[in-house]
Order: sequence, then C-alpha cells, then structure tokens
Amino acid sequence: MADDEHTDDAARTDGTGIVPPDDETPTWRERKERTTGLSRLTYEYFERSRREDQDLREESDYVERDVLAFPVWPHELIRNLALTSFFVGMIFFLASTLPPHLGAPANPSQTPSIILPDWYLYWSFGLLKLGPLNPDLAILGGEKLMADRTYGVVANLVVVGFIAIVPFLNKGSARRPVEQPFWASVGVMGVVFAFTISVYSMKTHVPLDSHLLLDLTFLVPPIAGAIAYAVLKTMREGYMYDLNRRYYKLRPPK
Amino acid sequence: MADEFAKGLGLLTGAGLIWMVLAGWYKTPSFAGSQLTGAPPSDLSMLGEAALILLESMFWLAIFGALLFWVGVPLGRELYAKVNSE
Repeated sequence: MADDEHTDDAARTDGTGIVPPDDETPTWRERKERTTGLSRLTYEYFERSRREDQDLREESDYVERDVLAFPVWPHELIRNLALTSFFVGMIFFLASTLPPHLGAPANPSQTPSIILPDWYLYWSFGLLKLGPLNPDLAILGGEKLMADRTYGVVANLVVVGFIAIVPFLNKGSARRPVEQPFWASVGVMGVVFAFTISVYSMKTHVPLDSHLLLDLTFLVPPIAGAIAYAVLKTMREGYMYDLNRRYYKLRPPK
Repeated sequence: MADEFAKGLGLLTGAGLIWMVLAGWYKTPSFAGSQLTGAPPSDLSMLGEAALILLESMFWLAIFGALLFWVGVPLGRELYAKVNSE
C-alpha cells in the first residue's frame, strides 16, 4: 500500500482497517526501555485500540443509530428504582432488627470523661494538639511566637492549603497508581497521615507514651509512602509487560 | 475475575449482615459494654441455641467465603493453567 510509505502523515481517518506495523511502531527493545511518560503510553495504547474498533465498526454493515443516551423511562428509572428500593429496604431492615439505643438524657452540668468530635474530624482535632511542635524561639527569650492553640489552627490551614495546591502540582493524567508511583505514594502518605493524626487526637486514650505517639504520627506516613513507592516501582515492569502483550496481540512486531 | 470478586463480596456482605444482626441480638448484653462480641446469655431456648450456631457459621462463612473466591479460586486457576502448560 502506498500509504505505508508516508508514515509521517496524520492518522488515517478513512477507516481502512487495522493499522499494520509501520516505521513508527516501536520495537520490543524500545518499548521495554521506555519507562517515562507511562500514562501517555497507556493512553496511546487504548486510543489506538479504540480507533481500530471504530475502523472495524465503520467497515461493517452494522447500522449505527444516533443514540446519545438511554431514555429515562424505562432504562434509567427502573435501575434507579431498584437501587432506591434496596437502600430503603436496608434502612427498614436495620431499623427493625437492630433498633438504635436510646441513652439517658445529657447532663449539662457535668463534663463527659471523653471529649472528642465526630470521627471524621479527628484529624483536625489532632492538628490542634500539635503544641509540642510549637518552637520556643531563643530570640524571644524562650517565648513562643504564637499560642499553642493558634499554632494548631495554623496547622489546619497548612494541611488544607497543601491539599488545595495538589491539583496544581499534578494534573492527575494517570489512571492507575502504577503509572505515577511518586504521586501515588504522596497520596498514600496523606491517607496514612490522616489516620495517624486521628490516632494522635485521642492520645490520652492510646496506651503509648505521648511523645512516642507524636514521633510515630510523623514517622509512619513517610515510611508507608516509601513502601508504596517501592512496590509500585516494582510493579511497573509487570504492567509494561501486560500492556506490551496486549499491544502485540493486535499488532505483531516486525 | 469480576464474577469471582462479586461472589466473594456477596458472601462477605450477606453473611456479615446476618452475623451482625444475630450478634446484635445475642452477643450484645448492653450498649455501654462490649458490642457484637459479648458473652451470650446462658439460659437460651432451643431457638436461641440454633441462632447461636447460625451466628458462628455466618461469621466463618463471611471470612472463608470471601477468601475462597478472592484467593482460593484464582490461585487454583493459576495452578491449573501452570500444570496444563507444562
């Protein structure tokens, strides 16, 4: 075919079937040695196979209709009714089999022994207890720059601020952790830190020395992140192998 | 693969739900004490004894059912494929 000689042209869109291996098709060795831009490579693989599917469809005599979506009735509504019925039924089932406990009314004149917010706010409560990290500055004669409680509020701002800038540091083009081990391990570090700082927030109830617990709070997340990074880095070769096998099933190497 | 995952998940959640309800009935002496793991009352009727047996069996079904479909079946398939290819 004359087309194969002009491989620098743009991708053919006339639906001429499966693309044969051309000069742009990398060899086994080139693919094996390529370790950067893995998310881009994955995208290229799936995009090529998607285009091949499209070409095959266009070649066949199957008549495609212009269907933008499924109609609400009956498709969507039946599905939503099924899901809704399941969850409503589950609420009835649990409410009837395990009725909730009704405790004694709260006594406003007595401080409870355990003072904790709801569990999903433990991390923020733990950040308020970072007083030991608040440095006493020699220049101020051993005074602290700000009160411990102010320091805790600022720690909240730092954490929320970091979470807010992550999307600007990494656009998140990877679809799987194995494609970007570094950012995946940053995520693991964040999740583990959310857990350890939550445990630290109930430090009076944890049977550990509070200084040791504070150290662990900040030591465990980087360790977990490093382990995740090592594991994902190791998994990359197997991931590349699978991609290559899928690729060469469609397009045998020269 | 997805089928095995769904079967394991179904066993884990289904058997776990029955276990949770029965443990809430028979192994939760009070709200303040140990929940779902407390000691069952000693003076149980025959129905209660049967429920205790069902409770224990549901607990292990949830664990081993999930293990069977998530670990056992894939492992067996891998081994079968390996043996067959040699």
